[in-house]
Amino acid sequence: MLTAQEAAKALSDLTLDSLYEIPEGRQVLSCIQCGMCAGTCPYGEFMEYPPRRIIAMLRDGLIEEVFHSESLLNCVACYACMSKCPRGIHLTEVLLPLIKQEMFANLSEVPAELQAALQNTLRYGNPQGLSPRKRADWVKSLDFPIRILPDDPRPADVLWFVECYTSYHPRGQDNSRAVAKLLHALGVDFAILGNEERCAGECARLVGEAGLFDTLRERNVGVLRKYQFKTFLTAGAHAYDAFKYLYPAYGFDYPLEHTTTFLAGRLEALKPRLARKLNHLVAFHDPCCLGRHNGFYEEPRALLRAIPGIKLVEMDHHHINSLCCGGGGGGMWLDTYYKSKGMERLSERRVREAIKTGADVLAVACPLEVSRFEDAVKVMGYENKMVVRDVVELLAEALGGD
Amino acid sequence: MQGGNGHKADQIRIGFYICHCGHNIASVVDVKAVAVFATSLPGVVVSRDYKYMCSDPGQALIQQDIRDYHLNRIVVASCSPLLHEHTFRTATAKGGLNPFFFQMVNIREDVSWVHEDRVAATQKSMDLVRAAVRRVSLHKALEPKRVAIRPEVMVVGGGIAGIHAALTLADSGKRVYLIEREPTIGGHMAMFDKTFPTLDCAACILTPKMSAVKNHPNITLWTYSEVTRVSGFVGNYTVQIKRKPRYVREDLCVGCLECIEACVYKDARFADEFNQGLSKRKPVYLPFPQATPQVVLIDPETCIQFKSGKCKKTCIESCDRNAIDLEQKEEIREIEVGTIVLATGFQPFDARRVPYYGYGHYPNVYTALEIERLVNAAGPTGGELILKDGRKPKSVGIIHCVGSRDAATNRWCSRVCCMYSLKLAHLIKERTQAEIYEFYIDIRSAGKSMEEFYNRVAEEGVHLIRGKVGDVYPDPSEEGKGRLVLQAEDTLLSRVLKIPVDLLVLATGLEPRSDAADVRRLFNISCSTEGFFMERHPKLAPVDTFTEGIFIAGTCQGPKDIPDTVAQAGAAAAQALRLVDAQSYELEPNTAYIVEELCSGCKSCIPLCPYSALSYVEEKKKAFLNEALCKGCGTCVAACPSGSIRQNLFEDEQIYGEIDGLLGTEFGTILDESPTHALTGR
Ligand SMILES: Cc1cc2nc3c(=O)[nH]c(=O)nc-3n(C[C@H](O)[C@H](O)[C@H](O)COP(=O)(O)OP(=O)(O)OC[C@H]3O[C@@H](n4cnc5c(N)ncnc54)[C@H](O)[C@@H]3O)c2cc1C
Ligand code: SF4
Ligand code: SF4
Repeated sequence: MLTAQEAAKALSDLTLDSLYEIPEGRQVLSCIQCGMCAGTCPYGEFMEYPPRRIIAMLRDGLIEEVFHSESLLNCVACYACMSKCPRGIHLTEVLLPLIKQEMFANLSEVPAELQAALQNTLRYGNPQGLSPRKRADWVKSLDFPIRILPDDPRPADVLWFVECYTSYHPRGQDNSRAVAKLLHALGVDFAILGNEERCAGECARLVGEAGLFDTLRERNVGVLRKYQFKTFLTAGAHAYDAFKYLYPAYGFDYPLEHTTTFLAGRLEALKPRLARKLNHLVAFHDPCCLGRHNGFYEEPRALLRAIPGIKLVEMDHHHINSLCCGGGGGGMWLDTYYKSKGMERLSERRVREAIKTGADVLAVACPLEVSRFEDAVKVMGYENKMVVRDVVELLAEALGGD
Repeated sequence: MQGGNGHKADQIRIGFYICHCGHNIASVVDVKAVAVFATSLPGVVVSRDYKYMCSDPGQALIQQDIRDYHLNRIVVASCSPLLHEHTFRTATAKGGLNPFFFQMVNIREDVSWVHEDRVAATQKSMDLVRAAVRRVSLHKALEPKRVAIRPEVMVVGGGIAGIHAALTLADSGKRVYLIEREPTIGGHMAMFDKTFPTLDCAACILTPKMSAVKNHPNITLWTYSEVTRVSGFVGNYTVQIKRKPRYVREDLCVGCLECIEACVYKDARFADEFNQGLSKRKPVYLPFPQATPQVVLIDPETCIQFKSGKCKKTCIESCDRNAIDLEQKEEIREIEVGTIVLATGFQPFDARRVPYYGYGHYPNVYTALEIERLVNAAGPTGGELILKDGRKPKSVGIIHCVGSRDAATNRWCSRVCCMYSLKLAHLIKERTQAEIYEFYIDIRSAGKSMEEFYNRVAEEGVHLIRGKVGDVYPDPSEEGKGRLVLQAEDTLLSRVLKIPVDLLVLATGLEPRSDAADVRRLFNISCSTEGFFMERHPKLAPVDTFTEGIFIAGTCQGPKDIPDTVAQAGAAAAQALRLVDAQSYELEPNTAYIVEELCSGCKSCIPLCPYSALSYVEEKKKAFLNEALCKGCGTCVAACPSGSIRQNLFEDEQIYGEIDGLLGTEFGTILDESPTHALTGR
């Protein structure tokens, strides 16, 4: 029997040549070529090589041809194929990253926006290319202090890994302020890494830039080793995935929580504090990483239901059938590329579904989504009809007090 | 090879045989080396290896050696006792020995099929052989007992499987009790309009069999009844049956349906179970026109009298035969039967478990069984297939493998869905002229006339698309209002298609009934991992179970179509008849027995026996063991504090002997000490 860490290591060291040496890889051989993966993929119709054909090419010894296509730039790592594959093949987790890595190395030209984001991440530790020294600047806008570990390295109950969009993007900072307020209100003893934190690197890895991911991972693990804490908390849905599935191979083994699961676990303490009524009809968008990949469908909904005044509606696609916002697997920086290929932005397709429900709030739980959906709402002219809010923002608002 | 020649009468003289089983054993175990090794073991007089010990020449070898070498014990190392213990015991008996002077060593399932290392596998075989040789020396002669078989047979479940088994048994003159849980027999087949591959009308072929059951002098039909307890053993089962109250007397009701007309509910208001809730019934109802027996029933959940006690009870007044009896109570009956056929069928997969196909959410998504009712001339719409808003569908999608071949739900292939989907495509096209899009993974058309049927439906112009639908969502286009888009890759074109349909049919799979585990426990049989009842051997004993006298037939054993179900039901009936006509059955003598002098009457064993074989005799103040009930599980043997319960074939000294042999503690034999005897193996 492998230990959990050995198993994670075997997975992370996997190459296409050693694919069939572990059970998750051997599963690929059981593919029945049903096409479920291509049929459910939000960009399946634009993929020359959807997972089914990749497997067929692999079996026939023609995989080289796939490496020279751009097919998987269209994969937004949404886990739809993987969660519906009737053979349970670990597509998004195991097979596709290996193919993407080869494909990425063969790209004649990396789309500019993506190239910049990856370079920035390498240089500054965040895709926006902002100064690592300003990573914790958002903290200053709070009316209570937040402990930053490098300044005050005493042990903390909760280490909060803030992540990039939530540190730098103005709307991401709203998310962080909300989380801070909620933790503060609950009396949680927490601290952040401040300038020592770097991007968790999940997007880099899922777009095929494994080398960059390794650099970031090594650095983050090194930093974490310096401090003592009981729970590792993050609001980044992609960061959550990285720490859950990718980091354990390298010695990360702390109890892990996403803000939604953390708060849902403390709902009884939180409920009495949610005093302010928010009269909204809310459509909740299941983030791919939280929902399909980790099965957290009920936690965010339970949080929303706890807010007085809020009514929930479901869009056509929800739960396991949720529709990706298009931001995963590097899609965050491929909008221009997709547009050039005549592909509709998934965020716009999703906003159309949200509008159809009559909801006035589109609620999300992944920091990449807020800016994507807000942009879509604006472009489609629904600014007067709908706002995009993270679940934690709504919770913090319901706390009242400002 | 042979050992010493002169021998005394009480001397142990063992013949040892090791089987190659073709390559099954010989490719992993060095059988020659094991045969040589055996000659070194105390008591072994002859040792041979042979290609197929179970063959006639193999068995003859044993018999000949018994005579030639005056053997009095036999050991065969080959496959599982489950398969051939009986064969070799018989050979031993034919050679003139008591059949229990035989011991089997399983070096196939336990060695060659599970190991790759030849040296280690050979060593393990030797250890096992040493254990068996040691054990067999301690065996005693045993006499198998015979029990009488009662001629009555109980069939549980009145679907086509149970109906066919009951009629076969009754026609051959046996008394049959047919127990059906629902108010009518017929099972799923009664719901279909037509049946693949011949497209003959289900009612036309089923109804005559249903009436034959009702009118057969040898069949006692109890519907609306359930088995609540089974005790006894092969040939002598005592079965307790609960007969639920219909509130209508079966002996008086003639099925004129006046009472339904007279019910205070002028309109039918409650979901009709037989029509899958697609139509309504009243509290007093007949499940469907050909229901058998033709006796109405009253549902206390919806009847006003039962709910409030304040009904005018117009039904009672309307019945001139006074058949309605609201005071009727549940009845418990007990019957004695010799054998049992279980034919409890399947349940369709719950389509809600695959939420992304929208069943229960989008109004025009139906399961196949619902469509069966909707295209049925006797169904809720008189056979007209119309949408919820009254329109006729212009395009229809059918998705195969919903809840089959799917790691997230059921992994198995349900075997009938490809064919019934083609059947439904044909019927829907015939009724509506709609365009039909069938999404399949593979078309499985094995079986007589099935491929021809596939061919026929394809030529009718059904669009057959090879690809599993990945997404179902409302058509966003203006003209597509009310339609659903089916998104799937046509895997033969490598193109993702988006096909708008008015109606979506989900070909849901077959799965074990949700109470299969309870039924399994009640009858003390086994289930395979997925939950269908398990046959004794997948090839050679397909309708037997591990419990003697209990047989299985139809879809309770695994998914199958009507032809296979009926064939299996016939086979189960034949197996029951085999026992009934033999009139008695030989029991394995591995039962426990009580050494009365030692029993202190402490009673600790009594509650432990899972088969109720132990009782306490007050006069003697001792425990008593009914050998006919004892299954030889050994629980009491291990539990008795005074060591007064022992077990044939599992005596302490035999087990210790086996352990000593296994560990080599007494012989100290090891691999390298190869014996010098010459071998005479063939
Ligand atoms: C939509 C659909 C269409 C099909 N079309 C065809 C076709 O066209 N041609 C074809 O060959 N096959 C067809 N089949 C397959 C066919 O339905 C089965 O082969 C057949 O019905 C199996 O019969 P059965 O008696 O084993 O089970 P069932 O029909 O399920 O009957 C079992 C009976 O046992 C009763 N029962 C269950 N548990 C108990 C209990 N504990 N005590 C007492 N009674 C109990 C049930 O009430 C039921 O009456 C179709 C299947 C489906 C789902
Ligand atoms: S969904 Fe799974 S089994 Fe089907 S083609 Fe894709 S990878 Fe193969
Ligand atoms: S993960 Fe999502 S985007 Fe990527 S191939 Fe699978 S379904 Fe398509």
